Amino acid sequence: MPGLNQLIFRKRTTLLLLGIFAIVGILIGRLFYIQGIKSNYYQKMAEDQRLRDIRVEPMRGTIFDRKMNTLAFSFDTECIYAIPYQIKNPEEEAKIIADKLKMSVDEVYNRLTKKTSFVWLKLKPHPNEVQSIMEARIPGVEVAQKAQRFYLRGNLAAHLLGISGIDNQGLEGIEKYYDQYLRGIPGSEQAEYDSKGNHIPLGERRFIDAQNGACLVLTIDQVIQYITERELEKAVLANGAKRGAIIIMNPMNGEILALANYPTFDPNKYSAYPTSARRNWVLTDQFEPGSTFKIVTSAAAFEEGIVQRNSEFFDPGFLIVEDRRLRCWRAGGHGSQTFVEAVENSCNPVFASLALRLGQEKFYKYLKAFNFGAQTGVDFPGEARGIVPPISRVKNVELATIGFGQGISVTPLQLLGALSVIANGGELLQPRLVKEIRTPDGKQVIKEFEKRTIRRVISKQTAQEFSFILESVVENGSGNRARVEGYTVAGKTGTAQKPQDGVYGQERIASFIGFTPVENPKIAAIVILDEPQSSVKYGGVIAAPVFSSIATDVLKYLGVKPEVKREGDVHTDGENSLIVPNLIHLPREEAIKNLSRAGLTWRGIGRGEFVISQSPKAGIMVKPKTTILLYFDEESKYGKDSSTVVVPDLTGLSFSEVNKVLTDLDLKMVANGTGIAFKQLPAPGTRLSPGAIVTVYFVAKGDN
Amino acid sequence: MWERKKLLKNIDFYLLGTVLLLVVISLVMIYSTTSHNTALTSGNPFLMVKKQLVAIMIGIFGMSIIMCSDYRLPDLVYQILYGFNLLLLIIVLTPLGHEVKGAKSWLNLGGPFSLQPSEFAKLMVIITLAKHLADKEDLDSFWDLWSPFLHILPPLALVFLQPDLGTALVFFFFFFIMLYIAGYNGRFLFGIIMAGVLILALIFLSHHYFGTPLPFKEYQIRRMTIFLNPDSDPTGSGWNVRQAIIAVGSGRFAGKGLFQGTQGRLGFLPENHTDFIFAVLCEEWGFLGGFTVLSLYFILVWRSLVIMQHAKDKYGRLIASGITAMFVFHILENIGMNMGIMPITGIPLPFLSYGGSSVITNLFAVGFLESIWIRRQKLLF
Repeated sequence: MPGLNQLIFRKRTTLLLLGIFAIVGILIGRLFYIQGIKSNYYQKMAEDQRLRDIRVEPMRGTIFDRKMNTLAFSFDTECIYAIPYQIKNPEEEAKIIADKLKMSVDEVYNRLTKKTSFVWLKLKPHPNEVQSIMEARIPGVEVAQKAQRFYLRGNLAAHLLGISGIDNQGLEGIEKYYDQYLRGIPGSEQAEYDSKGNHIPLGERRFIDAQNGACLVLTIDQVIQYITERELEKAVLANGAKRGAIIIMNPMNGEILALANYPTFDPNKYSAYPTSARRNWVLTDQFEPGSTFKIVTSAAAFEEGIVQRNSEFFDPGFLIVEDRRLRCWRAGGHGSQTFVEAVENSCNPVFASLALRLGQEKFYKYLKAFNFGAQTGVDFPGEARGIVPPISRVKNVELATIGFGQGISVTPLQLLGALSVIANGGELLQPRLVKEIRTPDGKQVIKEFEKRTIRRVISKQTAQEFSFILESVVENGSGNRARVEGYTVAGKTGTAQKPQDGVYGQERIASFIGFTPVENPKIAAIVILDEPQSSVKYGGVIAAPVFSSIATDVLKYLGVKPEVKREGDVHTDGENSLIVPNLIHLPREEAIKNLSRAGLTWRGIGRGEFVISQSPKAGIMVKPKTTILLYFDEESKYGKDSSTVVVPDLTGLSFSEVNKVLTDLDLKMVANGTGIAFKQLPAPGTRLSPGAIVTVYFVAKGDN
Repeated sequence: MWERKKLLKNIDFYLLGTVLLLVVISLVMIYSTTSHNTALTSGNPFLMVKKQLVAIMIGIFGMSIIMCSDYRLPDLVYQILYGFNLLLLIIVLTPLGHEVKGAKSWLNLGGPFSLQPSEFAKLMVIITLAKHLADKEDLDSFWDLWSPFLHILPPLALVFLQPDLGTALVFFFFFFIMLYIAGYNGRFLFGIIMAGVLILALIFLSHHYFGTPLPFKEYQIRRMTIFLNPDSDPTGSGWNVRQAIIAVGSGRFAGKGLFQGTQGRLGFLPENHTDFIFAVLCEEWGFLGGFTVLSLYFILVWRSLVIMQHAKDKYGRLIASGITAMFVFHILENIGMNMGIMPITGIPLPFLSYGGSSVITNLFAVGFLESIWIRRQKLLF
């Protein structure tokens, strides 16, 4: 072989070897790049395409009442779902599935042909249905565990708890407000699928545990809630009201003990109810408060020193402010009266003049301090803020009307908050629905919500003095039906006219706000009856008794010791003098009976059924046997009907007997307690029109 | 007796050992990729392994005979080989040929066996071309290229007609390497390659601008170019490349474990016992396995080069260079395709991919290398 060729050959062989080195180097480099540097990326891609996630829903947290009674909890049930694109023959399979699940073929077919990767077929299947669908082994139809929400007490506190949807999301109420705590963190189950989307039964499985949701402990007490709802329902039905609501709060720390709306609903099957029945309007709506708002005007005036307990007022029945004549609710007015009497009488001109004396600036300072026009910050979604007209637009006329609760909108909770300021010695507190957040097992406290004082609004002294005035409203004034035997009650009634189409119409909102016991309040409550259709629509007549019934039971339940029992309905002061009881709003018979029991005589003016005024006024000291002048309403709208019935003596009868007797007479019964009837209101012999209410008190057999 | 001892002593055991190792790995990987695939095995998980083993046995048998024989064959044999090769390539284009995935590349031999003439064609062309080039006295001018080119043109054209682009490319590759080793003018060689590239570019440009017809089908072009951006069509033509890269990448350093690969098993990576066996190997054995196999291939190619260097004559040297070129191209193209840096042409990975014709051809080629080595030029100093 020639030498030159050999040289070329060697050179070319070397070049070839270098080329091979380069090629192998590139391949190894590429291998290292893919398997080393980018391996995480490709590993993830490989997993993403063969592993599919099935969400494992966390268990939604339990909601307890303050005594750790379960109100709402979740539990696992089996649900049937389909993966539409794995269904090969939707028409035929829809028939099979519909037959097994007892659903309509069309509905199943529609779901099976949806363009999604996942669709629920049946959420609450019967175990037999689950069994039969599993035996059918239809590819693309599977069974999953799904948490179901259950509201243990049905409609108890339904508005408060709210509802949660099928995908474990809080939709309304506490469920919504605390959703981020209750919801938990979903986990997942990963299962292996091949490239055609078939599940590999023996393939890889991975689990990421779901983290269950936290538990809530409400400030609500289920017993108090129950009592409240029971009394509310009775009152709404008895008075034919469109709706009603009650909030009970501990005025000392802002904890809401009960909150009820009527009509109500069962959150377990909420879709069966109209949305209006689900609205917790007591928190989301505002209304014109009327007379109950006078506590705010009074407290402000008191605090500012504009008025004292015994300040003298004269009410001619109206107050002229600029070109307007603001009428008192009572034609002819209340005449000369002290401040205490004015509160008892709920005399509009007096509060209008107090507002005027305070002036815009000061009055608004208190409105703001009492938190009107702003959310209370209660832990509930969609709370209303009320409407306080801007100060620039409030001239004297507007100021005067706000003074007695017109021309301003408030929420029941704001009003209850204002009352609590008076009850607790002057501090505005944050109202609260949730006491604690606990671990999913309910054993450990994660977060505790404590009493939160927003600000001091009035001095302790003002609060105390005004408490006693409100006490006399119940003792002697318009709120006397709110009395609770054995306990002192402070309160204020309200009967607001409802504006309809811009003018005040016939409809009323009857309300009562009150707290008890006065010196060491345990509960404060607001009772609202919206658009009652009963013959009497006064808050003092229809709302105050509701407070009385609830407070009676709740105080007993809370174990509050009765204070010194007072004698009957009459204050004795000295040996010969009696205090004239308040008879206003009472039916004729009851007023007469009260007077005779108190040792007084009477003379009536007018032919109506109800006392609209009396002379001397309630609270005045008189000698026994004094004749009290009673003014009855003339041919009143609640006038006497010819077809009245006489209430029989019911004492000694059993519940069912009483019920039967009253039903026969076309009267309605409001029962208190169980057992044997021992007391009734009105008294036997009273004439009542059909449909009127007779309150009957029962005592257990063997009790004294 | 003396002859046989001498023969055994002179075998290149590096080469033989490397090839045997690759063949064993191949059997394991074929089992891993086919045992669960009932469409292929009809219920017998070892079916494909057995079929491959039969081919390997035939290959080893043929290799042994070639090894023992002198690679310098009588002249008539070359003509017979050349004619036989053309005959097979013609038959495969007739209705006797069997079409798989758009290429008429298969001859059914009855029963489970079939033949892929284009695999054997490579070796037969290498041997006859080597003989042709070795016999040629002048190989300097441009016109001296005519006869070698005419030599490979008929088989190349027939392969192209199947169409089997991958094998056609192998032909070009070893043709130029062999010319290079034969001592052909380097500048001319470079010029020819550049001219070829230029013509190809002109064809495409003219197609793009003037709409002249292309000698390729649309899907062939897509298959050739998709590796540049497989994500542009992840569920269509980019599917295989993407799945192969995912398989390799998800194998990471140590692999998912033998028979634990998910890409092939769950049907994401098709052709995983043939074209994409390397990807499955890397998935199950990780970088360790991939690196080991690449190292084995390096040894294979390196030994081939050494044998080429030590060939007794120009003819042996040219055979060795052609075989080396064939191996290099197959390895580069197949592994490159498995890792997304080469176009998808569907040529098998030597010794590893399932396929009887391929492994038999490659084992025969090793037989030739060993034969050349055994009869090498003893360097005497």
